[in-house]
Amino acid sequence: MNSSSTTPERRQRFDSIVGAFYPDMFRYAAWLARDRTIAEDVVQEAMLRAWKSLDALREDAAAKQWLLTIVRRENARYFERKRLETVDIDNLTAAQSAMLAEQPDDEVQELRKAIYELDDDYREPLILQVLMGYSTNEIAEIMGLKQGAVLTRLHRARLKLKESVDNEA
Amino acid sequence: MTMNCEQYRQAIMEDPSFDDSGAHLSSCTSCEAFRVEIESLDRKIGKALAIEVPELVMPELPAVESDNVVVLPVKRRVKAPAWFAIAATVVLAAMIGVRMIGNDIEYASLADEIVAHLDHEPYALRVTDDPISDRRLRSVVPADVAEFNRSAGLITYAQSCWINGHKVPHLVIQGAHGPVTVLLLPDEKLLEAVPLTGENINGVILPVGDGSIAIIGVREERLDSIQKQVVSSLTWGV
Repeated sequence: MNSSSTTPERRQRFDSIVGAFYPDMFRYAAWLARDRTIAEDVVQEAMLRAWKSLDALREDAAAKQWLLTIVRRENARYFERKRLETVDIDNLTAAQSAMLAEQPDDEVQELRKAIYELDDDYREPLILQVLMGYSTNEIAEIMGLKQGAVLTRLHRARLKLKESVDNEA
Repeated sequence: MTMNCEQYRQAIMEDPSFDDSGAHLSSCTSCEAFRVEIESLDRKIGKALAIEVPELVMPELPAVESDNVVVLPVKRRVKAPAWFAIAATVVLAAMIGVRMIGNDIEYASLADEIVAHLDHEPYALRVTDDPISDRRLRSVVPADVAEFNRSAGLITYAQSCWINGHKVPHLVIQGAHGPVTVLLLPDEKLLEAVPLTGENINGVILPVGDGSIAIIGVREERLDSIQKQVVSSLTWGV
């Protein structure tokens, strides 16, 4: 048995980093997929993959970005596998209703709906910046884009959301 | 040189934490109001994005590089009588419109894909007496897919896996001679059982109701009794 890879310390390390960043992993997956059920599957797969490759994470300080990158790849794999399947409109509606669960604040509720309807290209950098607290440089690295492209997408995302809020007012 | 209003507002829309040390704001009250508005919008965006998170459920974590893993032969070939291979191909193509694509690999048959899948998850085949939790079992075998009770044997592994374009429950129960893989295939209709034999495996794809089950153990394993237990433990969901 390989003691270095099966020790309680390894499990403890894994539990510690996943425990700390699980909410971020789930929310990122949920907003990428726009579906809570898919997000649960994606996060489960991501955790398994993280467990198997934990030794590749040299510093725990980098754990959050490492985990989110795994979630991002697992989400892409999920939709790559699903690409040949037909889209079930009823399921989409159910997924939508689950994601847009009632909020006591009407304005926040409307905003959640507007975020849900944003193009994927605009929604993802916004999540990474507002929810995860990443700089535009870091977002560019995670998404494999140039910083200029990230800035443009963030600008357009906020513009659309601002218009949505202004129209509701 | 300070920014003009358009440049400043562009920068704020890209990143509300943008800071030019007050150079522009010191002379522009309308942009200051704009900044306050966008900061407020961002706080609301943050609230809207912070959806409720379900309770953390850790997956069953495989032992990494454990020495009690039964490693199946890498180049195992499925051997079946020639007539059966032809019949199986026809049945599969006719009955289930076989796509046989998984991870960008095209498989000649469902049997080939199942055998290849075992090689992908050798860590599932641990000799252990640790059962998986009820929660894990329910998570991998949701009620709308099937009900699978524990009378089939000691269930030591459960994972959702992709077989022939469908997400299916992959279970492992402990047999008399080692771990036995059970794949629940509710979307695979077969007319007849498809035997799987190889250098070190003994298995079958068994039609059950509107779906089928694959059961694979080591060569020495007597599958007949396991088959009965598995079939009697299974009820397909509606």
